[in-house]
Amino acid sequence: MDLVTVKGLSKRYGGIVALSEATFSARAGEVHALLGENGAGKSTFIQILSGAVKHDGGSILVDGTDYRPANPDAAQALGIAAVFQELSLIPDLSVEQNIWFRHEPRTLLRTVNRGEMRRKTLALLEKYDFPALRPDQELRRLTLAERQIVEIAKGLAKDPRILILDEATSALPAREAEWLLKLTRQLAAEGRLVIFISHRMAEVRAIADRLTIFRNGSTVAAHEANAVSDNEIVTQMIGRHLDRLYPERVATATDCIALRVKNFSSGSRLSQVDFALREGEVLGVGGLQGHGQRELFQALFGASKASGSIELWGKPTLINNPRQALTGKDGIALVPEDRRGQGLLLTKSVRENLTLSVIKRFTENGLLSRQKEAALVKEMVDFLRIKAGTSEQLAGTLSGGNQQKVIFGKMLLTQARVLLLYDPTRGVDVGTKGEIFQLMRDLAAKGYAILFHSSDMPELVHVADRVMVMRNGGIAAALEGDHISEEGILRAAMLETRVA
Amino acid sequence: MSAFLARNRLIVLAYAGMVVLLLVTALFSPGFLSVSNMRSTVVLAAFVGIVALGQTFVIIGGGIDLSVPWVLNSAAIIMALLCGGQDLPLVWVMPLLLAGGAFIGLINGVGVAQFGVPPIIMTLATNVILQGLILVLTGGSPTPSAPALIQFLSVGRIGGFPVIALIWLALTLVATLLLSKAAFGRHLYALGTSATVAEFSGVPTARTTILTYVISGLTAAFAGMLLTGYSGQAYLGMGDAYLFTSIAAVAIGGASILGGSGHYLGTVAGAMVLTILTGLLPALNLSSGALLIVYGAVILLTVSIGSETFAGLGGRLRRKES
Amino acid sequence: MSAAERPLEMAQRPAEEKQARPGIDWRGRLLDRAPFLVACLMLALIVAIYGSLQSGVFTLDEINLDTAAAMTLMLAATGQTIVLVRGGIDLSIGGMISLGTVIAATRFTDDPSTTALWTLIILALGFLIGALNGLLISLLKLQPFLVTLATWSILNGVAMIILPTDGGSIPVWWVGFASAQLFGLTSPVWMLLALLLFWWWFRATRVGITIQAAGSNEKSAFLSGVSITRVNLVTYGLSGLFAAGAALFLVTQTGAGSPTIGKDYILPSVAAAVIGGVSLFGGRGHLAGTLIGAFVLTLIGNLVFVLHVSSYWQPVASGVILLLSVLASSVAEKAARNRVQ
Repeated sequence: MDLVTVKGLSKRYGGIVALSEATFSARAGEVHALLGENGAGKSTFIQILSGAVKHDGGSILVDGTDYRPANPDAAQALGIAAVFQELSLIPDLSVEQNIWFRHEPRTLLRTVNRGEMRRKTLALLEKYDFPALRPDQELRRLTLAERQIVEIAKGLAKDPRILILDEATSALPAREAEWLLKLTRQLAAEGRLVIFISHRMAEVRAIADRLTIFRNGSTVAAHEANAVSDNEIVTQMIGRHLDRLYPERVATATDCIALRVKNFSSGSRLSQVDFALREGEVLGVGGLQGHGQRELFQALFGASKASGSIELWGKPTLINNPRQALTGKDGIALVPEDRRGQGLLLTKSVRENLTLSVIKRFTENGLLSRQKEAALVKEMVDFLRIKAGTSEQLAGTLSGGNQQKVIFGKMLLTQARVLLLYDPTRGVDVGTKGEIFQLMRDLAAKGYAILFHSSDMPELVHVADRVMVMRNGGIAAALEGDHISEEGILRAAMLETRVA
Repeated sequence: MSAFLARNRLIVLAYAGMVVLLLVTALFSPGFLSVSNMRSTVVLAAFVGIVALGQTFVIIGGGIDLSVPWVLNSAAIIMALLCGGQDLPLVWVMPLLLAGGAFIGLINGVGVAQFGVPPIIMTLATNVILQGLILVLTGGSPTPSAPALIQFLSVGRIGGFPVIALIWLALTLVATLLLSKAAFGRHLYALGTSATVAEFSGVPTARTTILTYVISGLTAAFAGMLLTGYSGQAYLGMGDAYLFTSIAAVAIGGASILGGSGHYLGTVAGAMVLTILTGLLPALNLSSGALLIVYGAVILLTVSIGSETFAGLGGRLRRKES
Repeated sequence: MSAAERPLEMAQRPAEEKQARPGIDWRGRLLDRAPFLVACLMLALIVAIYGSLQSGVFTLDEINLDTAAAMTLMLAATGQTIVLVRGGIDLSIGGMISLGTVIAATRFTDDPSTTALWTLIILALGFLIGALNGLLISLLKLQPFLVTLATWSILNGVAMIILPTDGGSIPVWWVGFASAQLFGLTSPVWMLLALLLFWWWFRATRVGITIQAAGSNEKSAFLSGVSITRVNLVTYGLSGLFAAGAALFLVTQTGAGSPTIGKDYILPSVAAAVIGGVSLFGGRGHLAGTLIGAFVLTLIGNLVFVLHVSSYWQPVASGVILLLSVLASSVAEKAARNRVQ
């Protein structure tokens, strides 16, 4: 009998359907891989399983009984634990305190029994042959990879029947990733079910007994792992997309180089990147998440430290902070990744947000001119068709699509002609998505140069003139013309990564 | 107009509270609304209001200035010492002391913006250091009396209006211009709302932060000199009360202690409310202890109202998102 | 992993073996404890200067005396430390201390049972008022700074109504408590040891760890199932409790109640904790550091006295020390951050 059976599972967030009629079944003692593109519904599915989110419709049976946990605590009590990428660890507690947080063994004095906790920690680490971790080390001293390992230990400490690993290998170096794959097999051999999510085909191949493929919030296929080829899997992940969302792609790039980047490195996530972005070009930046795309955009905008050289319109430019990027016509502007944390003042009006970067443009003799400001605001509201009651409406009360339009307006008002767009369509409704793509092509036709990252591959394929695929902080491939395809990007980003 | 009311609900509420308080006080003490009494109330409120001007800027920017009491007291005492009761030295003493106040603000601002010292600790430290230095300077003994000119600024009248009220009015205009009509104001509100968004939008966050503390140093020093004129001499501890009242005036005026909202016009009402309350309680035969209780209750009440609007907005945000 | 992939990390740990079996990170540990060590160093320096200029410094008598002088601040700062580790601040302890002293000065009698009863009432009041602070902060989603500023004012007002000016009386036997001796050590020294023992116990309990976790990263703690409201209730409750304790000790030193004395302990309690290496951003700090900070602030007074300079240099010195400590910890933090990067 199956340990988990899911039928007709659905979940909506407002108007957005995250899951519809998803099905899933898995047995105890197997490693079950979940595959799908970003936004295919995998993460909603595992959030429901782990108790972080409640489903709207459908049923989940665990061991034949109905399963609907109130919160992650309840899910853990029923033997289901998840290891997410977004970590739930406490920076100032030690490794072992984190592993047993709120479940510490105690002494008669009600204090934590450190000896017992250490024993249990070492036993756990030894049983599963964990990479060397010092149990008493404070978490904030650890690297991202080590933290990921602690998060895994925290999940295992609950001795779950079902363990969900959400891209747990993506933060791990080769040796640790290999260990995790071995661990996964060991857990399955102990009779547990491991639900394993990974973008690395080789890993899935190496350990999965069965796999389920998600697309657009639904289950499209479930296979025995050895009965299906890589190409079939990729085809089923991609499916067929509606193409009319995307505007016609007319090549508008000139020979003039707008942005040239040489030998560009930042932190440990971006190393020695070279590329040139031409006037009138939309240059896509693709690849799996966490391979340096974020660092590239942040460093180009001066939001994080970097080394290497940047030339804007042929002139060497020093950009140490966003102010030095936002220098008007010859500058660089950014649509940031985190709309709410980096892009918008949610409790301020549409007007104040639109004009925040260009206060100089409506200052006369040191005083702000409300007329001039209103003219700038009207120009952008009309141009971008921002739907707000008035320009005094608070930005936080707008829909996601309109919030993004405000950020675009704020960027365009700076008059910069080199634009960095980091995942500009995330959380945006389909209609606005189409408008944004059209806008990007229009701007390119006017001579703007656009660097465009999207976590949604089809967008890159259909909107960009060229696509750079990033892997491990560098550029793994640059695709042009007919070579730009989801398969091509996936291949460059996934299939050629190291085999674990 | 309704949009204006909605956006500035807390400021409007502060003024409404002020009017209600005036009427209630007049009910219990009929002479309260007399011209002479109103005049003295405004004069007393002006001192709170001027100190709270700088505090308003600092708080809108997301900080707090605890160095106000001894910046004020230092300016008062050094002025009295340097002038020795004469008017003439004021010509250079006043600019010098204003510059001194600005300099303390600069130190505070640089510590906060460049060295990342928490505002509470930074300004607390400058406050006790100033306190000690002034005590050492004076040996703890009182200082000569205030020059006549500064007394004129504090208690004099022009055409029936107290001079200090006119000064306060002028400062209010300047502050309003800065907050509502200058690039600095936009930068300040953005900084206080979200330092990250401000930084990503090209706002000079460090410079803006430093400037708020400089303004606070300026107004505290200025208030110290005026207060010396009011009491006829400078004395140790004359600034102590202004730490609490300057923060309370800003909070009652509708600003969020987290920064990003509020306006000096609200603080003006806050300063008036605090001063009227001091007048109301004797009328009700209540002790100074009761005044402190009322102060605390009023602060709790106003911040709760502010928080409720915030929660209401949060609810709306969530609904929009889901 | 190729060398080009993560150049910085590779440069920092050239040997793969080091990663396989990491040794003790001495430099990291040292950086972690830098603020605390700086505080110890300051105390040692102050004691050394004091001891070289004054005879009889290194005696039990001196320890008894100095501990008694510092104990009120230590008690207040203990509560403040718990709040700071939670990531908050409590200004209301000033009001609670004043209120505690005036209740004691007006209600304590020579009858031990009456006094014992009122002692319990004062302590209970401290905890309840603190818990109320925590509740207001959580339920109304208000800032700790403003809530406790308001309650400080209210408590101060109540204290002034109970006893408008300094006065009242404290039973002689209660005052004598501060000089009661056991094995040559007076009760304040034993209290100091008790405080350390309490902390050693408290920070190892689930409640203590949860408070620290909430201060370290509220969101992670919440995701791990922590009730933030309950955490605030306990945190501020304990702060109020210790403030009440501080008041009960303070009256042994003053022999009277005072409706205004509490404000002298609000910011010094924060300063003592910060000097001792407690982070204002929450999650980090140790009571031992706070107590050393309290000693530093207290002994500066003695030092100024034996140096024969104006006692007015005392606040200057404490301000400079406060700045130095906070700069030291921010430098250490930056160094630690760079290492993690």
